This record gives sequence, structure tokens and C-alpha cells, in this order.
Amino acid sequence: MYPKKIAVYSGSIPSTTFIERMIEGLASNGYKVSLFGLQLKKKNYSKNVKVYSYSNQLSKLYILLKYTLLLSLFKASDKKKLDVIIANKKNNATLHKIKYYPVLYHKPDVFHLQWAKSLEDWIWLQEFGVKIILSLRGTHITISPIANATLASKYKQLFPKVDAFHSVSNSVSNEAKQYGANPAKTKVIYSGLNPEKMPFMINTSENKSLKILSIGRSHWVKGYSYALEACALLKKDNFDFQYTIIGADKEEELLFQRAQLDLESQVYFEKSIPFETIINKIHQADILLLSSVEEGIANVVLEAMALGTIVISTNCGGMDEVITDGQNGFLVPIRNPKAMADKIKNVASLSENEKKDIKTTARKTIENQHDFDSKIHEMSALYNSVLEN
Amino acid sequence: MKIGIVLPATPGYSETFFTNKIKGLQEHGYTVVLFVNSDKHTISLPVKIIKAPNLSGNSGKVLLRSLLCLLKSFLFHFSATMRLFRLNANDKISFAKNIKIIIASSHIFSKKLDWLHFGFGTMAIDKENVAAAIQAKMAVSFRGFDHYVYPEKNKNCYQLLFSKKIQYHVLSEGMKADLIKKGIIETHIEKITPAIDMNLFEANLNTEKTTSLKIVSIARLHWIKGLDYTLEALALVKQKGIQFHYTIIGEGQEKERLQFLVHQLGLRNEVTFAGKLNPEEVKNVLQTAEIYLQYSHQEGFCNAVLEAQAMGKICIVSDADGLQENVIDTVTGFVVPKRNPLYLASKIMEVNRLSAIEKTVISVAAMERVKTFFNIENQKVAFIKFYEKN
Repeated sequence: MYPKKIAVYSGSIPSTTFIERMIEGLASNGYKVSLFGLQLKKKNYSKNVKVYSYSNQLSKLYILLKYTLLLSLFKASDKKKLDVIIANKKNNATLHKIKYYPVLYHKPDVFHLQWAKSLEDWIWLQEFGVKIILSLRGTHITISPIANATLASKYKQLFPKVDAFHSVSNSVSNEAKQYGANPAKTKVIYSGLNPEKMPFMINTSENKSLKILSIGRSHWVKGYSYALEACALLKKDNFDFQYTIIGADKEEELLFQRAQLDLESQVYFEKSIPFETIINKIHQADILLLSSVEEGIANVVLEAMALGTIVISTNCGGMDEVITDGQNGFLVPIRNPKAMADKIKNVASLSENEKKDIKTTARKTIENQHDFDSKIHEMSALYNSVLEN
Repeated sequence: MKIGIVLPATPGYSETFFTNKIKGLQEHGYTVVLFVNSDKHTISLPVKIIKAPNLSGNSGKVLLRSLLCLLKSFLFHFSATMRLFRLNANDKISFAKNIKIIIASSHIFSKKLDWLHFGFGTMAIDKENVAAAIQAKMAVSFRGFDHYVYPEKNKNCYQLLFSKKIQYHVLSEGMKADLIKKGIIETHIEKITPAIDMNLFEANLNTEKTTSLKIVSIARLHWIKGLDYTLEALALVKQKGIQFHYTIIGEGQEKERLQFLVHQLGLRNEVTFAGKLNPEEVKNVLQTAEIYLQYSHQEGFCNAVLEAQAMGKICIVSDADGLQENVIDTVTGFVVPKRNPLYLASKIMEVNRLSAIEKTVISVAAMERVKTFFNIENQKVAFIKFYEKN
């Protein structure tokens, strides 16, 4: 039996591509999904998804008035209890009311929190019988608490209270253990892809110069500066290549580094583009390069593997849970431009048959390990497990 | 003589370059006016500070403020405003942009000046005609970031500026050569390096071998300072079994990145992020250090390296821009290729192996050179000459 209501909360609507896919997947599997938070832009969801959002000052005022009235009329005692909780918080009470009131009124069975840093903000829901599931994703677990001792101690205090954890990789769940995420309550559910929307295509058209592609937001964790150092080594060896980073245009550090390393004819920065166009770009590339210093499991790698483009990835976070070096892609040590450059040259020297084998194995990995429907069922089982308890 | 200096903000305590310069000019009897966007730092010098109109925030308020500035400019400084409008129009600046420039420059009209000196190249963008409009001579200082980094993101941003016959001040021979390449006449460029007050920096030669090598950097936690490459180098030094402690003095936006790197490199016990310290605390940390590192990707000149040399510390710096002139390789310190942790690591180990006498020879040479060439008194004289001869 399906639970009535699942709130998927990331703070903003719409959220990242993968969270959005999960929302639609849950909705099409019969769940009633509620979304709360800040509306960044308009999006039409299917009928099982209900959005209770605010955007500008006027809509915040509307939400505040509407839910103050509704709660006072129909859930007065709950409101009173929440008001005490809000009063004990240090910062802006009105803002908290705008965030919390709609959630209290619509009271989901499960509140699935996508980002660990906001756990402190939502743990109160348990006092109203709502189960909290926390997704353990990327930098919130692997980086932020290392640089921020206060956050680490917050995690240690709150993680033991969480009803269940969804982790994006084994490596992230291992990291989360040190903050008190109980392994028995943690389920690793990899990101799912819909193979039908990811056409597998083996690109045999010989690009004149080797086309290397990276995709991802402009952030130090992506390790682009190491990738550029690798490019400088390739150029020094007169290796013919073109490297494009999508999502990192106008980044001062990279622009400066490119100029300093004299890579302006080899390295291109492009702004983020819609997903449909990305598929095309990945198809056209010879190598998808992930230069990150840390990742849960990078979704762009899964996409490239599904689409038939060879991946070279740093061996960070959970990347070795997807890639077996030399079989379905390639792994290089983190922060090592020399190893990265050498691996690029190696891949370029592979025969067409060797490349084809790797691409086909990669596609199979994604089909077996990252099938979208089975991931939604795993998530569903996780929801049921907390509701049965 | 009346000099107006245009800066983004009132100089903070670490920006000794501007405070020293202002002090020197005032001692010589000049009047100095500061035009700033922000007066967040309190400045101890008796100097007139004029704030630029605040053109950010609530759009209604900005519109009102803009209209007021425009009205004031035309009512009280009609001829300067009209001159600016005409000069901008001659440079084919659109009407709307021209009006914006008048609004953004309106605070400068109120002062009668002999010189209008832009403290950074970036401050002169869109204000290329303001000095001529108020009938003052114009000077622009290039200091590093504005010269080497900003134009990478904003191609041709100085095209209009470089077409003007004005005076330039730069920090190094390298910057001077770059400007000449851009078509600026050599006689219009003056190199005046930063300088330090020798009385404030006592020499402290630390040549005794200690069990753990003490290394220091003073740097904003910003990518341009190359601290990630420095840490990579130190990880290699650790691998070789050398005990050391590295202190980074400074705050900045890359703290998380660097802390994570320290964690990944297993250097948590070897590295301290000391944060922002006051000048006295900085001196105390420097005093105990043996090696000072400045492995920046880009550096206009770098006062901190001058100060470290004045205190007798062995400096290892990258070959980025002005640093090559700040330190003479193997004579007053060591200059190593930038972006090369392996090379930096081997240089640190090499310095660690130097005998006490070898270290002293370098320290003394560095102290002497700083005292002779980078003395604050020289800098003051150089700036007065800059304004008087042009």
C-alpha cells in the first residue's frame, strides 16, 4: 500500500535535474508528492504533484495569511505547538512561519529532505508524527562538515534522530557514518536513468582533434584547474585536442589560468545549456572528463556512459562504484594532472574495437545498476520501511 | 597642489601602499581628497573623503538618487558636466551610458583638482574623460589584478583608456613593458614599487636548526595566491619525512577549498589557518618563521614579501610578474616557476639543507636590498616627482 503523501524538499522549485526526475517518477508510481519552498521558475508537474510555493514578497504575504488562517481554524493546537518551536529559534520568525506553516498544514507522511544542511530546520516535523528521510548527497556530507566544525557537531547531534537515510553512493554513506548516520537505517540508492531517453550511440566519426568534454557547475570541487594543468601537459607534448567545459563560462580563475597556460586555442568555456542539447554534446565528444576532487556519484558520468561516450574520471567519492578502470571507463587519481594527461593519450590510442567494448560495457552497467524504474521501487521500499515502523 | 585619488574603498590597515602615499603627499604640503565607493575602513589620516553615489539596491531609490545627482551636476557644475557629456559623445559613447557616467562621476565634479589619480586601472573604466572634464591632469595606477586578471574576463576594457594621453604608474618593469606593448609611450609610464617603513620591521635572523621547519605565508585565501599549489608542494615535503609547520595568515572565500585540500592531503597537523591577524600578531608569527612562501599565480609586487625580507626571512616566491623583481633569485631569496608544486617542494627542501652561514648571507642581502630600494622615503619622493614633473 502506498503512503498518502511524500514531501520532497530541496528548498527550491524546480530542483536539480535528478531530483526533478525522482519527483516525476514517484508521482507516476502513484505517490502524492508535495513540493514546498521557493519557486525559482514556473514548471508544470503531473497531477499527483502539488506545489505550495512562494516567490516574491506578495506571495509570501499571501502564504503567511492563508496558512495562519487555515491552521488557526483547523489545526489550532498544532499551530500553537509550532509557534513555540519557532519562538525558540534565533532568527526571523516570520520567515520561519512562511516556510513551516504550509508543511504543517498539509502534513506529509514522509518529509524527504534532499540536503543535509537544512536538517536542523526541519527536524521539528517529527514532533508532529512526520517521518524524516534525509538524502546523503555530495558536498553537504563530504566537504562542508570537514571545513566547518560547527556543522559537523550539528550533524552528530541530529543524524541519530533521522528516521532513514537515502545515500547516493556507498562512499557517501561511509562518510556519513562518522556523524552518526546509522548504517542499518541507510539505504544506498543510486541515481536512475531512463534508458529510452538516453540513446546509445557509438560515435565512430573521427574527430580531427580529440574532443574532450566536461560538464558541471563552476565550483572548485569540480577540479577544473587540474584539468587545465593536464591540458597544458598535452599541449606541451603536441597532442591535438579540444577541451570544452560546459557550465563554467566567465569564471575568472579559469579564464586567467587558460591565458596563463596559453591554452586559448585549445580550451573553451561555455555556459550551461538545456539537457536535450547536452545529450548532443556528449554524443559528439570523444571523452567525457570528470576532474572532480570529490563527488557522490557524478550524474553526468552516468549519462555519458549511457549515451556511449568514454569516461575518464578521477577516482573520487563513489566513482569507483560505477567505473571499473579499463572495463567500462577509466579512473585516474585525484588532483593529478600528469595521470590525467597520460590517460587521455592512452584512450586516444585505443583501437575502435577496444573503444566499442568499453562503451558497450558502460551502457550495460547503467542499464543494470541505474535503471530508473528499479530505483523508484527502491525508494518506495525505503518510504514503506519508515512508515511500517 | 591638490590631488584626488579614486579608490574602491578607504584603504584598510593592510593596504599600506595608499596610506603611505597619502601621508607622503600631505607631508609635502599637498592636499589629498579620496573618492571612494565605500568608506568601510576608518582611515587615521586627516583626509577629505567623498563617497560615490550608491547606485545599487532598491531600484526606486536608485532612480531617485540618480535624478538628484544629475540635477545637482547640471545646476552646480554645469560646465564640467557638459564637458564630460561632449567628450563622452566624441568617444561615441551612447546617450544612455553617457548619462550613467555623469551620475556615477558626479561626486568628483565638486572638487577643483590639479590631478585626478585612479588608484586601480579598473576604477578608470567609464571615467576616461572625467579628469579632462574637471580640467585636471589624469593618472592611472596599475597594481596587479586590474592589469593581469580583469582584462581576461573583460576583453578590451582599457581600449578607450589607452587612447588617452595620460600618465601611468605601475609597480614593476614587467607591467611597464606590457603597457609599452599596448602602445603607451614609455615616458608616460613611471615605475614606483611599493615600499615599507623599515622602522616597523626588525630583523630577526632565525638560523638555528629546529626540529620542525617553520613556514609562513601571508595571503588572502583566494585562488590567485596559489595556496593549493603550495599545499601540494608541502604534501611532497612531508612525504620526504621532513617535519614542518605551515601557517597561513589571512581570510578569504577559498577557505573551505583549502581546508578540504589540507584534509585530503593529510596535512591537518602541519597546517594552521591563522585567519586575519593585526600587524603586531603578524610580526610575532613572522618572527618565529624560517621560510616565507609566496607562490602566487599573479602578484603586482607584494608588500608582504618585502616585509618578510626586511625581517630577515628566507623568501621562496613564484616567478609571477612583480615577484621576480621583488626577490633576486639565489641572491636575496629564491624564485621558482609558478604552478609547479614539485619544483617548489624541492626548493623548500634545498633551503632547509642550507647551512646557517648560507642562510645568513641571503637574509642580509635581502634586508640590505629592501632597505636601499624599497624604503618608504624613496617612495614618497618618487610620487612627488611623478606629479611635479608631469
